[in-house]
Parts: sequence; structure tokens; C-alpha cells
Amino acid sequence: MTALAEPGFEERWRRHEWQLLRDEPTHPMMHMALDEVLTHEVGEGRRLPTLRIWEWSDNAVILGRFQSVRNEVDAAGAEKHGMTVTRRITGGGAMFVEPHNAITYSLYAPATLVKGLSFIESYAFLDAWVIAGLKSLGIEAYYQPINDITSTQGKIGGAAQTRRAGAVLHHVTMAYDMDPAKMLEVLRIGREKLSDKGSVSANKRVSPIKQQTNLPRETVIQRLIDTFAERYGLVEAALFPHEEEAAERLRREKFESAEWLYLLP
Amino acid sequence: MVVDVTLAGGEISNVAITGDFFLEPAEALEAIAASLTGAPANASEEQLSDRVTARLPAGVEMIGFSPQAIATAVRRAIDDPTPRERV
Repeated sequence: MTALAEPGFEERWRRHEWQLLRDEPTHPMMHMALDEVLTHEVGEGRRLPTLRIWEWSDNAVILGRFQSVRNEVDAAGAEKHGMTVTRRITGGGAMFVEPHNAITYSLYAPATLVKGLSFIESYAFLDAWVIAGLKSLGIEAYYQPINDITSTQGKIGGAAQTRRAGAVLHHVTMAYDMDPAKMLEVLRIGREKLSDKGSVSANKRVSPIKQQTNLPRETVIQRLIDTFAERYGLVEAALFPHEEEAAERLRREKFESAEWLYLLP
Repeated sequence: MVVDVTLAGGEISNVAITGDFFLEPAEALEAIAASLTGAPANASEEQLSDRVTARLPAGVEMIGFSPQAIATAVRRAIDDPTPRERV
């Protein structure tokens, strides 16, 4: 990761006036739509680079862009636990989310922020502030390429990216807490024969943040926000009405459609 | 990665590739799958991998899988269709 060591690379962050969006509890389908809309808004220059801290209103399984619904989701388990099943626009593995157990955020930035970095380098670069924030809470966190936020105790979370309209979308879900028994009823991970590559990310040993600190979820989130603000600067902002309208429309027309969910059945 | 292969008349007639990989742009998945359509069912891994590579659109980024990994999975799917296996 030599490029990351070049002097001034961190300065790239400070060239932008970062905006902070903090959600009210929001439906998983709307989260998917907001990510797509806000990536385009930043790419097309109508919105400044933004950090969005998610709040979830409902249980959800979020499939990676290229995953098969039937390979990943146990339909009966998902129904039993009231899971909304949806597909995101980034690759990677399935996420199992309960509103008070997950810490999720998105970064929307001009692609120039990561210009000259490989995809793999850009993951670590875009999450460096989170690693610093977790360390400041006494968690021995580090980045595990390609896209894992991990610790000496086990995996904490994972990132995914996509590029479009001249912008990079980078989003992360971390486990604050988790119910492994429930997760195994909903996701098919671990039930099938796995090759030695063991590529299913949720199958790695997970150590939620709550096992590593006594702090409440809100305190952890606030510390992460403060860390970002100290390093790069951050201004509180709000969704524009046209962004909310565009996201509502995309939610209805794309993300709630069976065509999108079963894109890969 | 999971690869589902359909054969017809001694040729690959359809391939579905799914999994927790990353691909930019996402639409390249169709081109990758289409590159295998029409390949002989007895094509070697190398031949399958070469077919994918040859028809990969310019500028495509594959992370967590590769033409070689796809070829291996296709070969396994044909040679040992059950049980479904992740590679």
C-alpha cells in the first residue's frame, strides 16, 4: 500500500467540505434507494461529499449485487423473523441486520478522492478514520484487505463499494451486537459445503463491538463521527427535498420490485 | 461463487454466476456469462478461461473472482452437477 504512505494523501480528505447526514429510522428499501441517489448527486456535483450515518427501522437481509436469493436466504427463516429482503447496488456478501445491532454508514465522494489507489487500497483508505475511532475506544481494530474491519478478537464489519457518475459509494455495516442463532435461521451461510477458500464473509469469526466495549451503541457512533470531524472536518446537513423524492421514487420503482430482488434468483 | 450451467446438444446453453464478489461495471456480468454460451461441454478449464478473458469488456475490474475461477467452477458444475458447490 505504498500510495497510502505518500505525504499529503490524507490531505485529500480536507480538500472537501464534508456533510453529515444522520437518519431518522429509515426502511431498508429506502436506504438502498438513498445510496444510489446520493452517489449520483455527489457525482454530478449537486451535493457536497457526504458521510451518512444510517438508522434502520426494520430487520433486513441485504444481499450483495451479485448474490442469488435462494442460495443466501432461508425464506421461512426470513418470514419468521420479519426480515425485509433486499438487494444493494454494491457487490460483496449478505448482511443480516437488526436495527439496534448494526452500525452502518455510507460515504459519497468524488472519485478523485481515491484516484491513483487500487480498489483494494481505496477500501483501507476510506475506512482509516473508523479504525482510528475504534482504537480510541480501546478496541484493537485493524483493516483486513480487501474489505474487512476486524480486530484481534474477530471480525467487526465489512465494506462494499461501487463507482458511478464520477463518484465512489463506500458503505460499511459493523456488528454492534448480534444474535448468531437468528442469523443462521435466516441466512444459508455455513449450511452448505464450503470449499477451502471459505469465501463467505459472514462465516468468519465475528466479534461484535459490544463484546469489546461496554459503551452503548449511540456512544460508539458519536465517537466515530467525532473522529471523522477531527480528521477531515464535518458539517451537519440535511437531505434536500428533491433527493428524498428521487429516493422514494427509486424505492418504489426499483428496489421494491421483484425484478430487482430476483435479478439473480 | 456459485455457477449454474445448462447444457444443450453438447454445448453450454446458459451460465448463471452468482456470489459475494465485486465487479465494475456490474453489467459486465452478462458479457461474462454470455462468453461461455456455445462453448463445447467438454471444453477444458483453460479453453473456458480463455473464452471469458477474450470477451471481457475493456476496463472491467473483477475482485474476488477471475476468469480462471469461473472456468474451474463451470468445469465442476458439468462434471459433478450435484451437490451444488461453492468455490
